[in-house]
Amino acid sequence: MKSIPGVAIRAVAAAVPTRVARTQDYEYLTPDERTRFQKATGIAERRIVRDGQFASDLCAAAAERVIGHLNWEKESIGALILVTQSPDYPLPATAIILQDKLGLAQHCLAFDVNLGCSAYPYGLAIISSMMQSLSIRRALLLIGDASSLGCAVDDKSAWPLFGDAGSATALELDESAPASFFDLMSDGSGKDAIIVPSGTLSSRRPPGEGPVPHELGSDGITRRPDNLVLRGADIFSFAIAKVPPSIHRAMEASAKQPADVDFLVLHQANKMINDTITKKAGFRPEQSLSTLASFGNTSSASVPVTLCAHAERFQESRALALCGFGVGLSWGTCIVTMPAGAVLPLIETDDVY
Amino acid sequence: MSIQSFIEKFAYAIEVPEDSISAATEFKGLEVWDSLNTLAVIAMADADFNVSLSGQDIEKSHTIGDLWGLVESKTAKA
Repeated sequence: MKSIPGVAIRAVAAAVPTRVARTQDYEYLTPDERTRFQKATGIAERRIVRDGQFASDLCAAAAERVIGHLNWEKESIGALILVTQSPDYPLPATAIILQDKLGLAQHCLAFDVNLGCSAYPYGLAIISSMMQSLSIRRALLLIGDASSLGCAVDDKSAWPLFGDAGSATALELDESAPASFFDLMSDGSGKDAIIVPSGTLSSRRPPGEGPVPHELGSDGITRRPDNLVLRGADIFSFAIAKVPPSIHRAMEASAKQPADVDFLVLHQANKMINDTITKKAGFRPEQSLSTLASFGNTSSASVPVTLCAHAERFQESRALALCGFGVGLSWGTCIVTMPAGAVLPLIETDDVY
Repeated sequence: MSIQSFIEKFAYAIEVPEDSISAATEFKGLEVWDSLNTLAVIAMADADFNVSLSGQDIEKSHTIGDLWGLVESKTAKA
């Protein structure tokens, strides 16, 4: 059975920038198209980083919040893992920079994981396994992206979907903690569904000399080679076909039925995808929490953002099915117990670190 | 399932009157057609026909009849 016992979630925080971008103000869609887009995706507005603010800043704000809330000695934190696709630099790993910025000890291991929308179940599995196998008592899982920085503003297929956010989940070894159950999947044959085609000099497609070329894609949109390309239809058919069985397998591993779970928290892709998955997985619409309307698709951070935006519903202990899916293709589900009061209200911040 | 029921569901998915389209309709030429309709048609095929259509399936199809052919062949395989 794919389960990890003895690791408790102590606190979850998430941070979004204060700057709001509204679908109804998006100049590259006609007013009719804006209304249609909003109805189909469920996205009315999103938060976008201010100049000089990055994904690591949002994660750092969330990390400070959980450390402060728990009153943890920084010396007691033995691991910091950052899951992001918007690192500060191609190298070194941003998690290491955050170890210093957050004032964590040198005995704190730190590294980045390159995953997007599937980050939460993967991140929990990675950090919980390391805590167990290396006897790391306390650890921080930071997850976040500033997707807005990687999209062309006039890319109607991507720009109006994404919001920026960062998060921090604090975990502690605890023999009495209920086990978490995981289902983690990959399919690299779908790599082109969401891709940044060009990157650094060591990339398969390095940047060229001279001014950055703009290229016309088969979808009629002009992008830089290092802009994100999103093939929405492919993601849609992948998600509705592959994600419900993943939820089913994780539920089966945990011997739970949808009725035994308080909330299903899906990666916030768009309303059509999420409604379809919720229904196919056998959950009632009101079990499925959403933040699409106010925050859009917050990429890797979507699950913690959605938890924190509903913090008032976590006053008591909750059984949760948490599910991420997207870029890779990569997808997964975890069934976890969220202790009472562990989900902290969403932070709005312009702070940089 | 018949092509007639497919056309009916197709019309409902893209929010046009049923009698305004037929098997011969080149759907990407319809005035209402856009990328959100691609998603609506994929969702319809999944919900009503239990068939997974990809973005490429829609891209390479010209008429509603072409798309029905794909749905039928995928139903046969399933």
